[in-house]
Amino acid sequence: MTDRFPARSRGVDQALAAAATEAPREADLAFDRLYRSSRDDVYAYAAGLLRDRAAAEEVTATAFERAYRKRSRFDPQRGNARGWLFGIARNAALDELRRRGRQAELGTDPIDPAAFAGPADAERSELRLMLAAALKQLEPRERELVSLKFFAGLSNREIAQATGTSESNAGTKLHRAVNKLREACDGAL
Amino acid sequence: MERFSDNEDIGAALATLRPSPRPGFAAELDERVAAGFPPAAKARRFSLVTLRARFRGLSPQRFAFASAGTAIAAIVIATVVVASVDSGTGPKTAGPQGSLSSEFSGAVPSAPSRRLTEPNAAVGASGGSVGEQSASAAPSYGSDAPLSRPAHREIERSAEIGLLADPADVADDSAQVFSAVHDVRGIVLRSNTTQGAAGQAGAHFDLLIPSSKLGDALAAFSAIDEVGSRHEATADITAPTVAVADRLRDSQAKIGALLTQLSAAETEAEADANEAELRRERRRAARLGARLDNLHRRTTFSRVSLRIETGAPSASSGGGIWGVEDALGDAGHILGIAAGVTVVGLAILTPLALIVLLTWLAQRTWVRFRRQQALSRRV
Repeated sequence: MTDRFPARSRGVDQALAAAATEAPREADLAFDRLYRSSRDDVYAYAAGLLRDRAAAEEVTATAFERAYRKRSRFDPQRGNARGWLFGIARNAALDELRRRGRQAELGTDPIDPAAFAGPADAERSELRLMLAAALKQLEPRERELVSLKFFAGLSNREIAQATGTSESNAGTKLHRAVNKLREACDGAL
Repeated sequence: MERFSDNEDIGAALATLRPSPRPGFAAELDERVAAGFPPAAKARRFSLVTLRARFRGLSPQRFAFASAGTAIAAIVIATVVVASVDSGTGPKTAGPQGSLSSEFSGAVPSAPSRRLTEPNAAVGASGGSVGEQSASAAPSYGSDAPLSRPAHREIERSAEIGLLADPADVADDSAQVFSAVHDVRGIVLRSNTTQGAAGQAGAHFDLLIPSSKLGDALAAFSAIDEVGSRHEATADITAPTVAVADRLRDSQAKIGALLTQLSAAETEAEADANEAELRRERRRAARLGARLDNLHRRTTFSRVSLRIETGAPSASSGGGIWGVEDALGDAGHILGIAAGVTVVGLAILTPLALIVLLTWLAQRTWVRFRRQQALSRRV
């Protein structure tokens, strides 16, 4: 390539070549890693909270876009990246709830009971259906914690970071929510 | 019977309910992420929404740099504007045809508008010849009075003019000043001319110029050399003039009455008393006449102070060599203006920034509250 340019252009040429081979910024790489590891988790959390696939997709896209715009503002000293990302996702989900200002109708329930039907594990399918029904009966705050914990796979520490509470408080509330689920399932017998 | 023996069981069961994104959505989001979330075509147009999004995307450091840069640029622009306005209205740039600032000292009184034809000081000087005397008995320079008294008001005018000259030109400029004064039939009350080096050489003139020719005289002075400063002022002295004239007329009437009494006096003592009072009244009339004459002189002649300067003032106005001292002076001037602009800007911006901050905090708190409220609703 340098042969095509006169000698006085060599500096610019070298700079362009260096720019072309330059590694992406560390923040971009970190974001890419975060996206790949968390895309499905964020969607699962949003869908579990909103119970609306379309809204969950919108919230997921919004959350990652906001995170991308703010990626240079992430401070590792204030928590890990997943907690930070889910804080953004939570705000986007709550904004969606706030914007709708009404109870979300289940246009398409993300938890499809038909998926559990099958002769081989009929009992398991029944349990799942009961669990899904019990999940619907939870308060949004409790369902949010369950979604963060069991759908998104966050640790209690990350849940605390995302929801702005203490780790022990998050653990206590989560324990209560799980107990409610268990009681609801037992009561359905 | 318990369906889930422990949290692990229920956790495992919940994990099987985990929603998964559609492959189409996942692929679309992958593409957007790979492309760095390019803005949509509609959003590419400039709008408050895109601007807000850009600001939100800025890191705190970049936002601080951008804010500081904007503030510095605003201060520089304001300093340049204020400095240019300041120099534009300052005395140093007033050219020969520059705008003049008229200064009205004192409010114009609502005195009756009438032409002054009362007897004047000549009455007292004539010693007993009390009678009608026209305004023609006023001083000889009173011929210009009607032109300097529009609408019959007594207007006193004065002017100051500063010329900037090279030391070698001071003598020649002074001669031209004398010539200009002579041309308008003015009076040189005082003059002082000094020869020497720059800064030492100069001249000062106290002049009386017929008010009707003040404009011509100032134009002639301005043509002599570079004008460093020029200032004109006016004062309405109609009220004191009318008051003095009224008192003079009363005094003259009293003198007439005393003369009548004197001629009718039957005893020696009565005649002596009348003469004594007549002398006092004549002295009073003389004083009033002199005051009225002085007031007339102030309106018919304008006092002009003219200075011819050399050296530092000339250099600062561009007439000399611009040196390090001038640069330091200019730098100090600019810094002073910049400091002033900064202080004024802070005085304006600080309350605004406080309001914006409080509004932002309130909005942030409100949004958080609404988000928590949204979670309280059953979905």
